[in-house]
Amino acid sequence: MNHLNTRSGRRWLQGRWRLGALLGTLLVLTAACSPAAPATSPTTGAHTLEVGATLEPPSMDPFHNAAASIPQVLLYNVYETLVKVDSEGALKPLLAQAWELSEDRTIYTFHLNPAAKFASGQAVDSAAVKASIDRMKADSTITETLRAQLAVIDSVEAPEPAKVVFTLTRPSLMWLYDMSSTLGMVVDPAFTGELGTLTAGSGPYALKTQNKGQSVVLSKNASYWGTPGRFDEVTFRYFSDPNAMNASMLAGDLDVIASLQAPDALPQFADTTRFTTISGTTNGEVVLGLNHDNKALAKKAVRQALTMAIDRKALMDTVWNGQGTLIGSMAVPTDPWYEDLSATNAYDPVKAKELLKDAGYGSGLTLKLRVPVIPYAVKSAQFVASQLRDVGVTAKIEELEFSRWIPEVFTNGDYDLTIVGHVEARDLGKFANPKYYWHYGNAEFAKLYTAADEAGEESAIPLMKQAVRFLADDAAAIWLFALPNLVITSTDVTGVSLNATTLSFDLTTIASR
Amino acid sequence: MKRFGLVTGICLVGLVILGAAVSLVWTPFDPIRVVPGQRLQPPGWPHLLGTDGFGIDTFSRLLVGARMCLVVGIISVSLAAVVGVPLGMLAGQAGGWVSEAVMRLADVVYAFPALLLAILLAAGFGASTVTAMVAIGVATMPAFARVARAGTLQVMASEFVVAARSSGTSPWGVAGRHVLPNIAPLIGVQASVGFAMAILAEAALSYLGLGTPRPTPTWGTMLRDAQQFLFVDPLQALWPGLAIALAVLGFNLLGDGLRDYLDPRLREVS
Repeated sequence: MNHLNTRSGRRWLQGRWRLGALLGTLLVLTAACSPAAPATSPTTGAHTLEVGATLEPPSMDPFHNAAASIPQVLLYNVYETLVKVDSEGALKPLLAQAWELSEDRTIYTFHLNPAAKFASGQAVDSAAVKASIDRMKADSTITETLRAQLAVIDSVEAPEPAKVVFTLTRPSLMWLYDMSSTLGMVVDPAFTGELGTLTAGSGPYALKTQNKGQSVVLSKNASYWGTPGRFDEVTFRYFSDPNAMNASMLAGDLDVIASLQAPDALPQFADTTRFTTISGTTNGEVVLGLNHDNKALAKKAVRQALTMAIDRKALMDTVWNGQGTLIGSMAVPTDPWYEDLSATNAYDPVKAKELLKDAGYGSGLTLKLRVPVIPYAVKSAQFVASQLRDVGVTAKIEELEFSRWIPEVFTNGDYDLTIVGHVEARDLGKFANPKYYWHYGNAEFAKLYTAADEAGEESAIPLMKQAVRFLADDAAAIWLFALPNLVITSTDVTGVSLNATTLSFDLTTIASR
Repeated sequence: MKRFGLVTGICLVGLVILGAAVSLVWTPFDPIRVVPGQRLQPPGWPHLLGTDGFGIDTFSRLLVGARMCLVVGIISVSLAAVVGVPLGMLAGQAGGWVSEAVMRLADVVYAFPALLLAILLAAGFGASTVTAMVAIGVATMPAFARVARAGTLQVMASEFVVAARSSGTSPWGVAGRHVLPNIAPLIGVQASVGFAMAILAEAALSYLGLGTPRPTPTWGTMLRDAQQFLFVDPLQALWPGLAIALAVLGFNLLGDGLRDYLDPRLREVS
């Protein structure tokens, strides 16, 4: 028996009905319709450059935050280093005109360019270089990477304004490369502000504004000491959705896509009258990191088994449309000691199962796979979880915003497996640091690496090869593939380097019509 | 046709339930296992709706997705009803300040965005099916409370309740014997509409990565995965989008038709 008057209820329900149907339709529409791509030419008439990028810098302070998106914007563009790495991977003068090293390779003397000055007008002298290093040394809160790199510097002396002398605790091959990156950024010593929001460099550009969640705008440093910047303003626009970035490029709103995050979309940019596609190599090793503090992952056999369980060629084909390079260890094709080690612990799920069984995990193993929300990481995670399932390993996927991934996974080590691209140059030394988030405290590797690092140029390469091979054999991590440098530019833009050999998106070589 | 809406609703909902039931015992292919060589296959045989970017059969994923959306719908709607309906009945029967307190509380919850709640829960406890269900459940509670209260007020004013109360039936007896049976159809209708909302909300949450984690297929995750292939293989986005739209439509039509069917006066008029 029903005594209810449902008139008002009916109207209300119909409202809901309409809303529901509308939302449903919208979902279909947004999913099925492709954004329109008007064939307007990009507006590069004004001296501005619009760069599309994926990860937004969490701050503007590269010394306290390890996010590679910070030096992507700042290195060479805003902050300069004594030496820089060019697109071939070779060291070139920047703030230092020349440098020499002592017989025992522990004392480096740099001769600074006397013309060099900061955006504030103050000269970049030896005291400023010394102050930058000393400031980091005195700071206990700098990133773990910098702390490890600083350990090799014994002292810095500034005998003359244009001459700075570094004394190292031991000879180091990597040291000068480290100095060409965040470690070597020279900060204006007169600057007293907050580095997280302001910049104080000597480069051709300076930070204008950071619009959180959207963009970082650099403006030209009008009093730059070298070849002036070619753009009045450069905007890095951040897109968490690769499709939105591609659509923006197709619509002519962007001049450059710094790194294409959806390689399946490459054919969209096939029109060579509008776009130039650059396909080179990067330093980005996509590493499936294993937390060596985990009881199971501390066992070599388990790590080998996990490596064998994953068909990395198929992964690269599936996740990155086959673009990239199979590496198998912590070295990329532009490294002098690179060799393809992807055949080490090659794909063999049957053997993987046996190894797991022998290690006592025949009945299964459950691991937390915590990945940042980055296209290659999320897609690789699903692939990895599927293949690990085939050998009886359950990988529980959890996606984290990158801003959460940094403190939880990278800093606190709360994970078993994770996937992230390591984009720094020549970074296999990170495995020698037991405090780094993999917690790989292998003394033998540390010894090998140090020996290679301390050796002279000629003997270093075979020793480095040995260290790289050791990592692969020990399955210290699982190297999924090396990211390709896929850059899309409008045809008006020239000078973007083929290979991304540094963390920097180097604006100094780029020009546009 | 008088009951076209109801019949269509039943058919669509039946289809979802059938898909979910079938997925429990059988799917044409493994809905999780990545098959690299089978990427982006067009619809045909043996992959009825083709495969996705991982080479997984889209039809199999849709079936399992139906199960996930039913699970989330049932649990979140039950949660909302189990908490919301008694509160609404309490407000309706007790009246006075109790009614005010309950209804204002409902207003507060109603004003709090469901998505924000889901993000908070996901941040605190990690994104999972449970946090999504709790978020959707809490967000739809006020609707149940309101409907239950409105229904209760009308039943309480009817003569048979007045008679029952004057003959000494306890408030619990009135609630159990008279109010609940009389507002049950109304709750059923609300549940059906709430179900539609829950499906949509679950799809939205999974799409944002705040719902069921990978690799379990959900329609929202499928949409998200399909997004990057919009230009290469737009059909991929069509299937989960269509599934969501039809399921939502189905539950809404069912709710609407059910109410018309259960109300004898409306039946005669139409």
